[in-house]
Amino acid sequence: MANNLSSAQEEQVVVFQLMEQVYGVDINSVYEIIRMESITKIPRSPHFVEGVINLRGRIIPVIDLGLRFGLGQNERTQDSRIIIVEVSGQTIGMIVDSVQEVLRIPVNTIEPPPPVVNGVDAAYLRGIAILEERLIILLDQNKILLDEEKDQLMQANFGA
Amino acid sequence: MFSDLEIGVFIDELEEKIQVINDGLLALERDEGNPDIIQEIFRAAHTIKGSSGIMGYQGMASLTHEMENLFDKIRHGEIHVTSPMINVLFEALDTLKDLKDEVIGEGPAVDTSGVVEKIKAFVQGDGQGEQAVAEVVQPTAPIVESIPDRRWLEIGEVEEVVIREAELRGFQCFRVAIDIDRDCQMKNVRAFLVFETLQQIGDIIKSEPSAEDIQDGKYDVGFQVLFITKEDADRIKNLMITISEVTAAEVQPVVLQHGEPYAEKTNTKVVENAPQARENGTAKQQEGADKKSVKTVRVDVTKLDNLMNLVGELVIDRTRLNRFAEIFESRYGSDDLVEAINEISNHLGQVTGDLQEQIMKARMLPVAQLFNRFPRMVRDTAQKLNKEIDFVVEGKETELDRNVIEVIGDPLIHLIRNSIDHGIETPEERLAAGKPATGTLLLKASYAESHIVITVQDDGRGIDANKIRNKAVEMGFVDRETADRMSDKEALQLIFRAGLSTKNNEVSDLSGRGVGMDVVNTAIEQINGTVELDTKLGAGTTITIRLPLTLAIIRALMITLGKQVYAFPLTNVSETIRITDKDIRRIGNNEVIVVRERILPLVRLGQMFNCPDCAEDSKMFVVILGSGDKRIAVVVDKLLGEQEIVIKSLGDYLGQVHGLSGACILGDGKVALIVDVRGLVKDLGTEETAYAAG
Repeated sequence: MANNLSSAQEEQVVVFQLMEQVYGVDINSVYEIIRMESITKIPRSPHFVEGVINLRGRIIPVIDLGLRFGLGQNERTQDSRIIIVEVSGQTIGMIVDSVQEVLRIPVNTIEPPPPVVNGVDAAYLRGIAILEERLIILLDQNKILLDEEKDQLMQANFGA
Repeated sequence: MFSDLEIGVFIDELEEKIQVINDGLLALERDEGNPDIIQEIFRAAHTIKGSSGIMGYQGMASLTHEMENLFDKIRHGEIHVTSPMINVLFEALDTLKDLKDEVIGEGPAVDTSGVVEKIKAFVQGDGQGEQAVAEVVQPTAPIVESIPDRRWLEIGEVEEVVIREAELRGFQCFRVAIDIDRDCQMKNVRAFLVFETLQQIGDIIKSEPSAEDIQDGKYDVGFQVLFITKEDADRIKNLMITISEVTAAEVQPVVLQHGEPYAEKTNTKVVENAPQARENGTAKQQEGADKKSVKTVRVDVTKLDNLMNLVGELVIDRTRLNRFAEIFESRYGSDDLVEAINEISNHLGQVTGDLQEQIMKARMLPVAQLFNRFPRMVRDTAQKLNKEIDFVVEGKETELDRNVIEVIGDPLIHLIRNSIDHGIETPEERLAAGKPATGTLLLKASYAESHIVITVQDDGRGIDANKIRNKAVEMGFVDRETADRMSDKEALQLIFRAGLSTKNNEVSDLSGRGVGMDVVNTAIEQINGTVELDTKLGAGTTITIRLPLTLAIIRALMITLGKQVYAFPLTNVSETIRITDKDIRRIGNNEVIVVRERILPLVRLGQMFNCPDCAEDSKMFVVILGSGDKRIAVVVDKLLGEQEIVIKSLGDYLGQVHGLSGACILGDGKVALIVDVRGLVKDLGTEETAYAAG
């Protein structure tokens, strides 16, 4: 993670809310944040795959992050957003309950994650930042597309 | 080192010139003395020599140098084109291709010395052919580059008058060529010395380059002068050689004939390489060639894809603008402003439509890129099989999407080889059958509506349907009874089955393993094309391939399932019908319908795709889909009509989704999914042909 540090030993994260929890994802992997739009469902895809959208001519798969983490699905509201992240050459959208702000987090406030945080497997997490009484769960953008998840996608495709 | 860009340009040029030489050699084989062709090959070899020399590819430079030398002699009529020579030249061409691969980094290091020696043998042996090859291949002296005929400076009218006058006064005129050491540091000083020495014994009346340039040192490795003196040639030569750093001096007496300008005569001599004069000559030809070339720029395909996406954006905005215009109209009635918005929206629509079309066209390439590979292949194959074939190519300029061109290359190779191997008979057989000894193989591309049609036609022996029947029975594809019941046309369709070959137990290294036709069929179907076979016993076979103009855009039938829109590629849609519950029958647990006496499995796509809000009506729309000879009937909610769609992949994250082949973006910006009809039909369809049903 060292390469993402700014000169003041800080990093910038996009802070968003998902199932009453506050999460952060490294701003460098965030391509764009868009409002909810009509999503085309993909038949026989895994339950957490919401479908695909058209982002200026590109077809982008969108996942429901709540479902992905096994936390359940919140209702879509005016505040719901799709965070488009670009990870190792692939672009996907993640539906979150709302996007709050962009924060600078001093690196020394980041703690390693406990094995399970609010039901989310630590494998997806990079750490927890404690910032002025707030607790921000930092996603590891490189692990958003876990191999395990790809396997699941494959099974869903061929098992159906 | 040179940048990737520069190497790229070099490779592009190289490929172009290799193609020119290839075409030229093939043409030369038929028309041995054609000076235009010889000139063209000479020029191409010369260009490669020049650019490869600059880029530092020595092997390529020396090989093309020899080719250039040879063609220089040919064009001066000193050597005649022979068939062993053509073979060696083809070998040289192959070596050149290998060298190209080496440069790109795809091939191993190439040894050019063998083929260079063979060409040299022709250059020196004055067309003695194989005999000369054998002599020279043995390593004799270190390789000395032979200078091709020195092109002597020309004598103009003015000089002629001077020479004639001088001759009357007992002077003799000589052409003197001086070569100065390549590494000479003081070229101007050497040149000054030469001029000084010569002027002590006579007069210089002309020089090339001009005297000023020579004395400023502005010459390559040598220069020539026209010199009038009372001394003889040997004396001049000896004087010249004594000047330091002069590597060679050549003196040739000028003889004026019958008052006509001196006819160019050439003599060969092995000296230090000094092709300067020739260089000048070819530079002029080069200019001429450039004028003919088309103005083009090379563009990365991804850039065109990006442009295409941007146009897609425009289309979406136009649709939105349209909708706003409607809203305004309903809110404010029709006034001038609403009219204006409508007009703008329409115009925008037209422009974006045109833009889209133009960008699609920019992705197209002439099929010549592919077709140009074949004449050589046909020649080699025919030679190997001792067949005489007249290969005719038509419609080279027909344009196709580059992806399509990539896909059809191998199938066409199969088809052409099949025609040569199985189709066209040997000259003896042909004569016996009352046909001309030379068979004709036609490869033709043309447009037909929104398709490209490629035809491979031969006038060979044709395909015997009975042979196919027997073979199919032998291989266990069908039983004897059904085979006999099949029409000839149906029987011929069996040829597209995997593993079927008509050549009994006779496998040549070219074709005949029975992997040909089914591979062809599969490859063509994959890009939404079709293959048709038409044959007449004894008269020949025609294979017709129909292809979509492009892979990226297809015509599709748009349908809905619930709220979502899906697309069926139109090439797979055979018809749409309406049915009611009563039309559905059951075979076991499967629903089927009967359409034109054929039993088709009925697929409820809504259920298959777990579409929750699909209508369950007693009346329903059914689309009949087909791939190959299989058919299925698919129940859909609504038919929306035909539309051109741009195929996009669903991306790596989702990977290959079962039942879908991609997605496309609709006019309103929403995404519609493209149904993988081929996969669907393969899994569920029943075969068409009567024998399968019976």
